[in-house]
Amino acid sequence: MSAQTPVIEMRHVEKYYGDLHVLKDINLSVTKGEVVVIIGPSGSGKSTLCRTINRLETIGSGEILIDGEKIPEEGKKLAQLRSQIGMVFQSFNLFPHRTILDNVTLAPVDVLKRNKKEAQQEALELLKRVGVGDQANKVPAQLSGGQQQRAAIARALAMHPKAMLFDEPTSALDPEMIGEVLNVMTELAAEGMTMLVVTHEMNFARRVASRVIFMEDGAILEEGAPEEFFEHPKTQRAQAFLQSIREH
Amino acid sequence: MSKNNTSIRDFLYEEPGPKTRTWIRIGTGIALVLLAWLIYAVIDRFNVTGQFREKYWIFFTRWTTWRFLGEGLLTTLRVAVTAGAITFALGFLLMRARLNRHTVIWRISAGIISFTRGVPTLLFVYFFFLVFPKTGIKLTGFWKITLPVAISACGVVAEALRSGVNAVPKGQREAALSLGMTERRSFYRVIFPQAFRFVIPTLIAEMVIVLKDTTFAYIVSCADLMQNAKVLISNYDALVSIYLVVAVIYILINYGLNKLSDSLARRGGTMESRRAKA
Amino acid sequence: MSISALWAAYGSEYLQALLTTWKLTFFSFGMAFVLGILITVARVSPIIPLRRFGDFYVQIFRNIPGAALLILLVYAFPKLKLLFPYATCVLIATTLIPSAFCSEYLMSGMNMIEKGQIEAARALGMSFLQMIRRIIIPQALRYSVLPMTNLLVATMLTTALGSTVPMVPRELTGLVSHINTHATGGVTAFVISAAFYCATAVLIGFVGSRIDRKVRILR
Repeated sequence: MSAQTPVIEMRHVEKYYGDLHVLKDINLSVTKGEVVVIIGPSGSGKSTLCRTINRLETIGSGEILIDGEKIPEEGKKLAQLRSQIGMVFQSFNLFPHRTILDNVTLAPVDVLKRNKKEAQQEALELLKRVGVGDQANKVPAQLSGGQQQRAAIARALAMHPKAMLFDEPTSALDPEMIGEVLNVMTELAAEGMTMLVVTHEMNFARRVASRVIFMEDGAILEEGAPEEFFEHPKTQRAQAFLQSIREH
Repeated sequence: MSKNNTSIRDFLYEEPGPKTRTWIRIGTGIALVLLAWLIYAVIDRFNVTGQFREKYWIFFTRWTTWRFLGEGLLTTLRVAVTAGAITFALGFLLMRARLNRHTVIWRISAGIISFTRGVPTLLFVYFFFLVFPKTGIKLTGFWKITLPVAISACGVVAEALRSGVNAVPKGQREAALSLGMTERRSFYRVIFPQAFRFVIPTLIAEMVIVLKDTTFAYIVSCADLMQNAKVLISNYDALVSIYLVVAVIYILINYGLNKLSDSLARRGGTMESRRAKA
Repeated sequence: MSISALWAAYGSEYLQALLTTWKLTFFSFGMAFVLGILITVARVSPIIPLRRFGDFYVQIFRNIPGAALLILLVYAFPKLKLLFPYATCVLIATTLIPSAFCSEYLMSGMNMIEKGQIEAARALGMSFLQMIRRIIIPQALRYSVLPMTNLLVATMLTTALGSTVPMVPRELTGLVSHINTHATGGVTAFVISAAFYCATAVLIGFVGSRIDRKVRILR
């Protein structure tokens, strides 16, 4: 792997839901340590894009490469690839029948065949790091949304991923809990984690992103450094979108 | 039932890759062969035992056969509907008693409910068949099957109604009382009508159990579908074909009732969620 | 007849009948559970003919009246040269019918699992079987504890079908009808059997709700 090989690369990706063209000629690359934030109105296909990267959604044509290799279509290789890419969902998706600690150790022990004791030790450290160390023995329903989402981030981190996907991680949260999740994400970015973030949090994008991507109607319309994008959006659509957000 | 809004079947598997597609195709092939073999085995079994002989089936082309079965079915339905009405009335009373504030009253009701839920219908049937005549009260076959079936189902109906009443938001009662209604009036005018709508699907599904239980009518010699089938069997000496047809009739009716219950439940569900959103 | 007189005459037979009812209930339920799981696997498999077969099976056995099924087994099957002892016929009927309901309850238990659970398992790199073992089965089972408790009681009620054929040994309902046709057991004979049934049902319900409270998934 050369230094230039992007961790995530999408080339001419197209996707249809029946007649609906949800991804239009998507070209995108995320290099090591980059934080790419995708913004755009709802229904613009940004979530779908995020979910194609670990094949939670399939694509019609084009290709998606991880570390220069096409993502496998099925089987062990696909599972292995997924284990290397962390994902954080809008609705947390913690396993409700297991404790928080079990949620974090389940995949390392089952998938990576790690020693259970060690996995638990690391899990506790991760949980402490995201600020829910004292919740380890509770079940997800006993935690607030913000705590659940932070635990979900710890669960993804426990796999030592080479990149993290965040699919609207704060959209299901009450306003007062959004900050605590964004803080964890900001720290991660500062530590050099490669991240692709779909979000509506413009301040986060402005502060943390290395690059901002603006999507509408399934296409990438604009791409650039955050200051550049937020101060001088080139396309009219992006201007209109930013305008509509500021009004709120 | 399995196809509420989305079924697990729709998302348990991901979009298959080429290898998985091949495996699915092979599996489908094997399954088709096995099912074809199963169907063949059944047909062959009928064939070698001579059950396809014309004499076992020809009378089904006669109008009188169907009229006779139809009369039996009519009795079955009369028993089921009457038992259903009685069990609803009993269930309603038990529910009212179960929700009563007096400990003695609700305890008794709870006792009766668990008693009817824990005792098989057949035991009630035998009771009406064997013990009741000795008390001197004369019951026709119709009532000897209708009453035990009704009694056996009333506990379940009471519990269904109770869960419906509990599902009505507490604010409804308070709103009714604040409008100056009495407790009784608020129950009958506001709470129960809503509760009833919730539990219609459950009540229809309960009718399936009632209908199934009516098949014990032959024990008390009430001329229901099963009993008339027996008469036909001795007339035509065609046991397999007639019992099979009768079983299919029962299955189809119950299937229809279950489908109706499911579709009402689904419609009710979406209505609820719409109201919740508004 | 007073309870004591009746018990003196038939006590051991009642105990024998209670044991028979219990054995029949738990044996049927066990087999129905295994069969229900197999049918459910077929119904959620990616192989369409198996799904259709599973659906068909469930519709048949959840809709056929127990008496009709038992009559087919006892009277029609011998004509097809398939002769089973009475007890076997009863066992088949009290297994097949609950197995269909078991599959329905497992299906609705699985349908309570959110789609996100499956996506999370996939995203963590779990294989299909790991996901089934760690996420789907544990959650579906927890969601179906109470329905399964009710099914166990329903299975017990179904075993009363044994009274409609000369099955040996008799179960609780069969014994009552036997006593009442041969002697004058009267109401008392029914009360004893009913008490046994109820006690069993209450016990099952108690254990079931204890288990449910223990494993219930908080949401």
